[in-house]
Amino acid sequence: MKMLISANDKSSSAAAAGGYNPGGLRALGIIKTVLRALLKAAVVIVCVVVVVFFIIRLVPGDPVKMILGEHSTPEAALKLRHQLGLDLPVWQQFVRFLHNLFVNGDTGNSIVYGVSTKSLIAQRVPVSLMLILMAIVISIIVSMLLAVAAATHKDGVQDHLIRVLPTITLGMPVFWVGLLLILLFGVQLHLFPVGGVSAGAGGMLYSLTLPAITVALSQIPSLVRSLRAQILDVLESDFVVTLKAAGIPKNVILFKHVLRNSSIPTLMLLGVNVSYLIGGTLVVEQVFDIRGVGSLLFSSISSRDFPVIQGIALYCAVAVVIISFITEIAAYCLDPRLKGEK
Amino acid sequence: MKKFSKLLNRRVAAAALACMMAVAATGCGSSTVSSSGGSAAPVSGGTITYGRPASTTSFDIYTQITTNNAFAVDKIFETLVTFDKNGKITDWLAKSHSVSSDGLTYTFVLRDGLKFSDGKAVTAKDAAFSIEHHLSVGGPLAIDADVESVTAQNDSTLVIKLKKAYTPFISELANFSNGIVPDNFNGKSEADFFKNPVGTGPFVVEKWSADGDLTFKKNTNYWQKGKPYIDKLVYKVISDDTQSINQLKAGQVDAIERVSCENAKDLSQGGSTKLLENTSWETEQVFFNTLDKHFSDVHVRRALALAIDRAGLTKAVTFGYGKTANSLLPTTITYNTDSTVKALNYNVAEAKNELAKSAYPKGFATKLLISSDNNARMQEAQIIQAAGKAIGIQIDIDSVEIASFRERFFKYDYSMMINSGQADYPDANSIIAFQVDPSGFSKCYWTHYSNSEMPSLLAQSQSAPDGDQRAKVYAQIQQILADEVPYIPLYYTKVLVGASSRLNGLTVLPNGSVRFENAYISK
Repeated sequence: MKMLISANDKSSSAAAAGGYNPGGLRALGIIKTVLRALLKAAVVIVCVVVVVFFIIRLVPGDPVKMILGEHSTPEAALKLRHQLGLDLPVWQQFVRFLHNLFVNGDTGNSIVYGVSTKSLIAQRVPVSLMLILMAIVISIIVSMLLAVAAATHKDGVQDHLIRVLPTITLGMPVFWVGLLLILLFGVQLHLFPVGGVSAGAGGMLYSLTLPAITVALSQIPSLVRSLRAQILDVLESDFVVTLKAAGIPKNVILFKHVLRNSSIPTLMLLGVNVSYLIGGTLVVEQVFDIRGVGSLLFSSISSRDFPVIQGIALYCAVAVVIISFITEIAAYCLDPRLKGEK
Repeated sequence: MKKFSKLLNRRVAAAALACMMAVAATGCGSSTVSSSGGSAAPVSGGTITYGRPASTTSFDIYTQITTNNAFAVDKIFETLVTFDKNGKITDWLAKSHSVSSDGLTYTFVLRDGLKFSDGKAVTAKDAAFSIEHHLSVGGPLAIDADVESVTAQNDSTLVIKLKKAYTPFISELANFSNGIVPDNFNGKSEADFFKNPVGTGPFVVEKWSADGDLTFKKNTNYWQKGKPYIDKLVYKVISDDTQSINQLKAGQVDAIERVSCENAKDLSQGGSTKLLENTSWETEQVFFNTLDKHFSDVHVRRALALAIDRAGLTKAVTFGYGKTANSLLPTTITYNTDSTVKALNYNVAEAKNELAKSAYPKGFATKLLISSDNNARMQEAQIIQAAGKAIGIQIDIDSVEIASFRERFFKYDYSMMINSGQADYPDANSIIAFQVDPSGFSKCYWTHYSNSEMPSLLAQSQSAPDGDQRAKVYAQIQQILADEVPYIPLYYTKVLVGASSRLNGLTVLPNGSVRFENAYISK
């Protein structure tokens, strides 16, 4: 309740300072903040793109030798290097890169595949996004059910089991969990494909089930713990006592009031985790042979496919910014207090 | 609302960090041939799905060399002569060939009724264009013979004249880079032609994406009547080893191109899977940088060779699927002296004596460079590390990821490394020239080794016709290498292919490729 009071204080003081039109000022404040956030995000994206461009060129390793192998002659290497524009000074390559980025919105043609990076990433994005989305949905549903069950049976057997069991998967590396699931449900029981992604929307959902569960298993333990603690906090707060006293049914209190109030910190936690997931799907994609953005990044780094690495860095930075916005907006909708804050 | 942008920043920073980390990680980072012929009659039709570690990125036979592309283009394009599962040169698109007694004139007669996949007849003119174009391009698998002229004598006879005799030439012609394409690429540009390639091979590209799977359909104009048996061949990219094994076991693919030694036994014992093997053209070796102050001393190199138990190493690392090497040339390559060469065999006492003769009798500390993408090499490195310790040489293992690994040794930025030497074509010259020619660009595989006798021996080995004289020269070369040890041959590797037990008629070639024209899936 402390926060509620302080939030009210702020909004009332802002209204007092703003004079006669608090609503309009508030809208202006939101726009200003969003603009500021966008500007900062843009700066970060530019930094990522520039730094990645130079770092991957500083790292030892020659893409030409990765294409031509160890037996090729220096003449063949020279010819290919010239063809790819890799014989130009780095600053000229950078100018070319920027020109391409602003004119075509692309980071150039892949050195290995010879097609535009944009089209390569565009092909890979749907499956990666789908995987992340499925993992989030599974994480949220399972975490909520478990957390409610644990909190409502505080210190009971259920509570202990729910708190202890998920930590087992937390202690195991993601690839290991994935392999166990593959061996059990894929190789032994033939319930799910071992790897790869089948054609069509249905096939995609089906093939991504095990990988999504693998990712979700790495998220659920921390989400359950956070959500359970929040629920317990809210359950003990004054307004719940008041609601109880008013004779409102237990389930209505739990799902309408308690869950809503306790989900915000968990949502923030999920938001941060999703940002890491974008980079972290790499392992899961590798284990399940999913040809998404992660596996593309992995192979591009080993073959020093500069334009593709740059493209994916850009894609990651943009995706994370977008997800941050979505998380913020969701939190804003869930939490009436934020609406009053400046 | 400050919280809003603060949180946002933190997350953007996290993403930036994740990207950085991903980028930063780069810096650290046979003679027993089993082709599974069933006794039952072949079944026509169906699709074979073949799991491969990397996608086919181009079909251009003149500019590509890596296996992801090589083992796809060899299904589309064929050569005048080829090699069989034992590495022996045989006629292929040519029904016969002859070499003049001075070794300067090669005459090839084409098979009757040869057609490209578009139905057009194949003539000697197409063959002449193909070889000439390859000569003009050069490329990563350039023809080393000194060619004077390539002439289509008539529709079915091709004559190639050399300026000087070069015995490995016939083997060079078996390289996929000498595949026969239509004259003048059917009027298209080279780039356009290889986007929709037309060849004489058993398969035609149906669907392809450079970073994904490749679907072939059968070439209905194929010269071997009734073949291939299957209608379609799908190259499915499975980059992860464990994943490919599991997909094979679960029946999602019919065969997989690469099986590591530790998984081989598992596949050979499985009821639904089998293991196909062939000895390869590859020799796993320790290379010494002779520019390094320690390894420029021949006694140091000899001492280390004597200290390593090659047989034990081979057994431990290859699970019995490798063969301990004595000579540089694999046993699948003619003129190897594996059974006769006097190699420095495991003897710690002698190794210590040898080191005592060197400039570093009390030992020294050095580094062993390996590539981190190969599990076997890490084990080999540890065994070599222990061997060095036994005679007073302290070896630190320097494991870096493959691109950095190559960059390092190309710049001679290493003391010793583990790598493998592989023949591109089944002639002793393919490995020998690359590893003993001090004037070649590879400087004896980046060892910078030189021996005053080598240039003349190498020249003799290239010009002597096949026979005793050539054998004698190669024996001499291999003995010098065994004595001076610019590299320690460790073992000869095997080509291991995993397959469903229902898959028949695959031919596993010593270069790691597989022939599919006789393959079928039994019911």
